[in-house]
Amino acid sequence: MEIIALITGFSLILIGLYGILSKRNIIKIIVGFSLFDTGLHVLIVTVGYIKGGTAPILDSVVGTTDVASKIVDPVPQALVLTAIVIGLGVTALMLAYALKMYQAKKSLDISDFKDMKW
Amino acid sequence: MNLISPIYIVAVSLGIAFFMGLLGNKAQRSSYLILLAALLFNTFVSLQWVFGLGSGLVEAMQVYTAGFKPPFSINLLMGLNESVITALINIVGVLGAIYMMSSLKKNGTGSQVVFLILFMSLNVIVLSRDLFNIFVFLEVGSIALAGLIILQKGTNAISAGFKYMLATGIISGILLIGIIFIYRFTGSLNIDSIITANPILKQGAFVSAFLIIIAIVLELKSFPANGWGLDVYEASHPGIGAILSAASATATYFVLYKIVDIAGSQLNYYISIIGVISFVGSNLLALKQENSKRLLGYSSIGQIGLLMIILGFKDILGENTTYVAFGILVSHYLAKAGLFWLSGIVKQKNIKGWAVIRKKPYFLFLMGTFIFALIGFPPFPSFFAKWTLVMDLVNTGNISWVVAILFGSMMEAVYMIRWFGYAIKGENEDIKDFKIDIYKIIPVGIFAVALYVVGYFVAPHTEVGTAINFIPLYFVAAIFILDFLPVIIKNTLAIVGMILYFYNIYPDLDNMRLIFEAIFMVGGILTLIAGYAYKGKRPGFYPVALLMYAGLTAIIEAQTTLQFFFGWEVMTAGSYFLIIRGKRSMPHGLSYMLFSIGGAYALLTGLGMAHVGHASFSMEILNGISYLPYLAYGLLIVGFLSKTAALGLHIWLPGAHGEAESDVSPMVSAILLKAGVFGIVLTLIGMGASNNQYSELAYALGWLGAITALAGNLMAVFQEDAKRLLAYSSIGQLGYIVLGLAMMTHLGWLGGFSYVINHFLYKAVLFLTIGAVVMRVGTHNMYQMGGLIKRMPLAFIAVMIGIIALSGVPPLSGFAGKWLFYNAILEKGWYFQGAIMFFSGGIAFMYLWRLIHTVFLGQLKDNHRNVKEISIWFLIPIYTLLAGIMVYSMKPQWVLQPLGNMIAKWFPEGQLQWVGETAISQYGQWAGSLVAITIMGSFIIVLVLLMLSTRKAHKVKQFDITYSGERPERPETTHVAYNVFEGLYKAMWPATIPLVEAWWNKITEILHNIADVTRRIYSSNGQVYVAHIVLFIIVSYLVIIGG
Repeated sequence: MEIIALITGFSLILIGLYGILSKRNIIKIIVGFSLFDTGLHVLIVTVGYIKGGTAPILDSVVGTTDVASKIVDPVPQALVLTAIVIGLGVTALMLAYALKMYQAKKSLDISDFKDMKW
Repeated sequence: MNLISPIYIVAVSLGIAFFMGLLGNKAQRSSYLILLAALLFNTFVSLQWVFGLGSGLVEAMQVYTAGFKPPFSINLLMGLNESVITALINIVGVLGAIYMMSSLKKNGTGSQVVFLILFMSLNVIVLSRDLFNIFVFLEVGSIALAGLIILQKGTNAISAGFKYMLATGIISGILLIGIIFIYRFTGSLNIDSIITANPILKQGAFVSAFLIIIAIVLELKSFPANGWGLDVYEASHPGIGAILSAASATATYFVLYKIVDIAGSQLNYYISIIGVISFVGSNLLALKQENSKRLLGYSSIGQIGLLMIILGFKDILGENTTYVAFGILVSHYLAKAGLFWLSGIVKQKNIKGWAVIRKKPYFLFLMGTFIFALIGFPPFPSFFAKWTLVMDLVNTGNISWVVAILFGSMMEAVYMIRWFGYAIKGENEDIKDFKIDIYKIIPVGIFAVALYVVGYFVAPHTEVGTAINFIPLYFVAAIFILDFLPVIIKNTLAIVGMILYFYNIYPDLDNMRLIFEAIFMVGGILTLIAGYAYKGKRPGFYPVALLMYAGLTAIIEAQTTLQFFFGWEVMTAGSYFLIIRGKRSMPHGLSYMLFSIGGAYALLTGLGMAHVGHASFSMEILNGISYLPYLAYGLLIVGFLSKTAALGLHIWLPGAHGEAESDVSPMVSAILLKAGVFGIVLTLIGMGASNNQYSELAYALGWLGAITALAGNLMAVFQEDAKRLLAYSSIGQLGYIVLGLAMMTHLGWLGGFSYVINHFLYKAVLFLTIGAVVMRVGTHNMYQMGGLIKRMPLAFIAVMIGIIALSGVPPLSGFAGKWLFYNAILEKGWYFQGAIMFFSGGIAFMYLWRLIHTVFLGQLKDNHRNVKEISIWFLIPIYTLLAGIMVYSMKPQWVLQPLGNMIAKWFPEGQLQWVGETAISQYGQWAGSLVAITIMGSFIIVLVLLMLSTRKAHKVKQFDITYSGERPERPETTHVAYNVFEGLYKAMWPATIPLVEAWWNKITEILHNIADVTRRIYSSNGQVYVAHIVLFIIVSYLVIIGG
């Protein structure tokens, strides 16, 4: 499980990066960025995973002894929430930029935005 | 004592941001005031911690959130470092908000909220000790900044903002991967517990530490993966540029400072490498930059590179790390924010367009302050930081690092000084005035003043900085404030000030220093007297002239190498401003400055090497340098030769001296050049004087002096410009001095010192007189003058005595130098050099004669028929100096005997024997007074006889001649004045090709071409920039793994 999740995470990151680097269309670049972000999120969750662990809620099933081995690590789960929110913010702002760029030049090709050189 | 907890910076900012959001766009005015209040509150919180922690009244404070201690919660730390850094950030927040007032008001409450959130997040990334928290607020800051970039209208800002988002998005993704894996390996997100856990020991954790650090390094826009950053600097509002450069970069740098230890110290060296690549690369590429904001962007990235070098060397710098980093950081912070703000006021894209700034002279002062602070001149904090950095690096044997750092600094100086040159003196036909909003000036002014204040308080924290004598600088500052007064008052104040200072200082000096101090101060006073000839206010002249003299006296008084270097740089800055005042002197000012800075860096390195193995910085450490002595003394000599304009380092001199104002030429020629001589004297004494162990060095120096003498004189022959003729002649004369000193014998030094005094006397006379003549006739070209003897007899007498003294024929004082020289050369056995000297002495006659023949004799030009005698204010110093020449000529023993006694301290062997007034050497004898009296007597007898015998001769009128049947009717046709040495030129032209200049031009061209080719990596394509980032990470990783 863990390995699969890790591979998935890294693959998503690489696919996203490939999209960012190879696609000319700004919207596609933003999609690539989202994939990159999603891959990161998968990675974060994976790091806190413990084989056979349950949700990190302290109740009668989990008990109070040897909690650490029974539940998955709650910290990465908290982190991933924050990371998702931030990713959302970044993506939204990028899309806003895409809109502005389109309004400015009637183009979504990133190679049309090369006015400042050297 | 209870201080407001730093958590309120976050709480209040967030609360106010939400509240402002509720206000909406209807209450723009009040919301702007609320924003200011919030930023002021943050500043207040930081500052109270600065004072509390700085005075030791309170202890550093840890803020825990959510009621748990780390690693189970996020904690903020407010220590001294954090308080200072957040104070810097918050101050730029307040001033930046004032500066951007109209933009923030126009764009409504939304932009103000974003502005506030940006500064809150910058505070948090400084304070937080939690890695994930830092990541979050880096992202919040990025989003806020991307929101602010778009405030500037235009496509460029939009595309720059998008590239910025893309790049920072990828970088923070990398950061997040690193953070999550370091959590996996250490079970903590708290920086302190991660450092304690030392993750490097665990397999795989190194990679995560590497990813975190490289991400922060990339956030700092490391070269070359920084195209996105440059675009933002170029495209965004100048106020945003200031925030990016001053606040954002400062905060991010502090993050790097905090977290660098999570990799143990394994990555320190690589951070330094990345830093030096950034520093040198950015500054090199900036050479071709003409867009002012982008130029500032390059410079910012370079400065951050320098800071990374310092961080990487923190184990070597030890407790000096903070001092050095703070000095560089705060100078960059103040200067760069100031320059960005200025760029928004001047509103000129191209750096050449900055000539408009001349319309408002006090703006030149602001710009000059920022630029000189950036390139590390005194009294700014960067000067002391750079000094300490170089001393420590040399002391630990890292000379190659010093070379790289100084090379980068040099490049930065090139484009910064060139830019300043365009502003102060660039050719620009229609200079439009520009409008100033008062609220935009306030922040700029505050930061400019802050640079001086911080520099003043930083100085005592160097080991020896406490001893720096600021009194002359106070005087300069006072004169600067009084600059609105007319010349007559300022001139009097300046003269009185210098007299009082000299009177106070001279009893403390030894004889050798007294000679130089007298040349500097008495010469300075005499040349200042000529200043009464100027009318009006002469704005800016007195502060810079006095700045130069303050530097000159500081190098004489210096007890420590730091004081010496401080004075040296003050003098350089003052003389640069003096030189660039002249007409058409922009390129010459630039080349003067670059050779000076290059020389100063050689000097700095040499002084650093002298310090190796000593605990003190006393000037005594120049004696018997033990660490790489040949290199150290060589560097010192090269540094000083850059000021004496030795061949190869001379190309700045003719233009700088020739184009300077009439009373400035003698200051920079007769007086300033002696500073280099003083340095050479100190170095040669350090090399052991009569026990010189580095005879190869002295031998090479001797040849250099001889060739310089020949070349200087030769070039002077073909000049048509009287002031350039004198300038080239100075190069030659300084060659004699260098040769004399390099002989390292008693007689050689006696000759050298006698030339030092003589050259001061006659070159001051000649430059003052010719300068005063130029003021009357309005041209430098000798062939446009002629027959002025009738209009200016007193000037004629002065020039005649001056050239007789210079040419070294009896009866005047120059002969003393010549006689000593030939004795010394015979004794030393340097016959070839002696022959060259003899030959160049002959050449000197060829140009000296023209000063009389072309300027004063021959036919008066029509347009000069009514010119008056030169100004009385020039005649007073000229005739005072002439009196000096006459005394020296009639009684040479009055000068030479004490000189000989002084030199005997270092060269006891081979002294002159004095029998009464007769000097006896092993090759002959010379009775100076007798020779002088005899020759003058014969001259007077012949003159009287001639006057008696020609009483009946009738006077020939100007055109009372015929020539080959024609009657020349214009003055030009009766007077050979132009291209006099045409025949000689045909024979000698290969020797006059400016090879040295061509060589330096070629080097400049090559550097600029490298810059131009390399900077094409910044293709402006956002995807290319992302690729740069990815490649940067991969290459860095491979290098670190491989290294």
